[in-house]
Amino acid sequence: MQHDPAVIAGVCLVAETAIMRAVDLSTGTRNELQGLHPLTIAISCSSPEIDLYISTDAEGAISVASYREGAATVTLEGSWKDFVGIASAEDPASALINGNIKISGDTVPLMQLQSVMADLDVDWEAPLAETLGPVVGHQLATVIRAITRTSRTTHQRLKRQLSEFILEEGRLSPPKAEQNAFFSAVDDLVLRVDRADSRLKRIKKRLTALNGLSE
Amino acid sequence: MSTHENATDDTTDFGFERVKTEEKAGRVREVFDSVAARYDLMNDLMSGGLHRLWKRFTIELSAVRPGQTVLDIAGGTGDLAAKFSKLVGKDGSVILADINSSMLSVGRDRLIDKGALNNISVVQADAQYLPFEDSSIDCITIAFGLRNVTDKAKALASMNRVLKPGGRLLVLEFSKPVSPLLSKIYDTYSFSALPAMGKIITNDSDSYRYLAESIRKHPDQQTLLEMVEDAGFVDCRYHNMTGGIVAVHRGIKG
Repeated sequence: MQHDPAVIAGVCLVAETAIMRAVDLSTGTRNELQGLHPLTIAISCSSPEIDLYISTDAEGAISVASYREGAATVTLEGSWKDFVGIASAEDPASALINGNIKISGDTVPLMQLQSVMADLDVDWEAPLAETLGPVVGHQLATVIRAITRTSRTTHQRLKRQLSEFILEEGRLSPPKAEQNAFFSAVDDLVLRVDRADSRLKRIKKRLTALNGLSE
Repeated sequence: MSTHENATDDTTDFGFERVKTEEKAGRVREVFDSVAARYDLMNDLMSGGLHRLWKRFTIELSAVRPGQTVLDIAGGTGDLAAKFSKLVGKDGSVILADINSSMLSVGRDRLIDKGALNNISVVQADAQYLPFEDSSIDCITIAFGLRNVTDKAKALASMNRVLKPGGRLLVLEFSKPVSPLLSKIYDTYSFSALPAMGKIITNDSDSYRYLAESIRKHPDQQTLLEMVEDAGFVDCRYHNMTGGIVAVHRGIKG
């Protein structure tokens, strides 16, 4: 299916603006990106059929485009689901290597870019202070920071407690050690059954041989 | 004169009107003199900001590299020129050309405000008689300008002359919507809402009525493609955008 270039251009514009906003609010990131220039990552998505090109320039800016000529440093080919899987993975680098995405070209700069972006330290207090002034901006930032911290802690605690409830209280799922013991018992049983089966076959063979002699 | 051109020996289209060929440039100038100051604002309002995306894709198609020379014809308020200026870098150059001095004046002021004039020259020029040496330009863009040119075939031939062999022409222009339903909605919008908006923003509904009419009189995608080929360009193709409301045509000088 042919996509409207204006729609894709809009997606690229939004992505590029968001990335560059984050980069500009993270001290030192532009310098690191300058070090990666020239870098072009071609993302070829098969379903839906979309090509995207992420490039760095000499000033440390990142551009996202839907059309580009010339060879890319590295090309990633896969379906949209594969790319979403990588983006949402806890360890994107490992998900990229172990996933279904076909990689061609030099992957070192790709890993370097991933590392730079993972290390983004966005000072989002700066735009608040610019808009609202240093006092109100800082106060608001403090409140947002506290809310974010509380939400993160609550989320982690809930995740842990839910896991504990499923395993310990509700016994909805067996603990890992219990699972391992069960699997090992099953393996042992399989071995025993195999042994018993081969013994039976041996006895059957002997009996057939004895019957043949007596006749 | 090309068979695609709407001009006869002494008359041509000015929107739905027929005017003397030598009068068209003056009439178009009056339109743009009237809207120059608020041209970008009107573009944003009329297209809902989509013109930025159409131009962005056109810039991507240009594949302009550092050190190259880009000519932006009918460049008006200089939004494309500013983007090209960054792409060609300090070793390249961008020429912002427009037949209309009011538009150029607004464009130059904007570029000065953006601090983008280092590698940009501003030239008042008619697209039919480009005042540049043969084979001297790497890339030519004309965004929403070709339909206002009196003799489009002559303008395309002039562009072909100044482009270097292998150089690229990109024509971004309103075109014909591919869906009949979209075409109907678009007609209603451009003949009712557009002049009304023009009246509110620039106090000039006639100019925006002309814009709507000139879009209808402009050749459709396939016809313009043939015109680009007739002008001597090779490897010509076009991309429809927003359902064919706009199309960008690309041709390479052979």
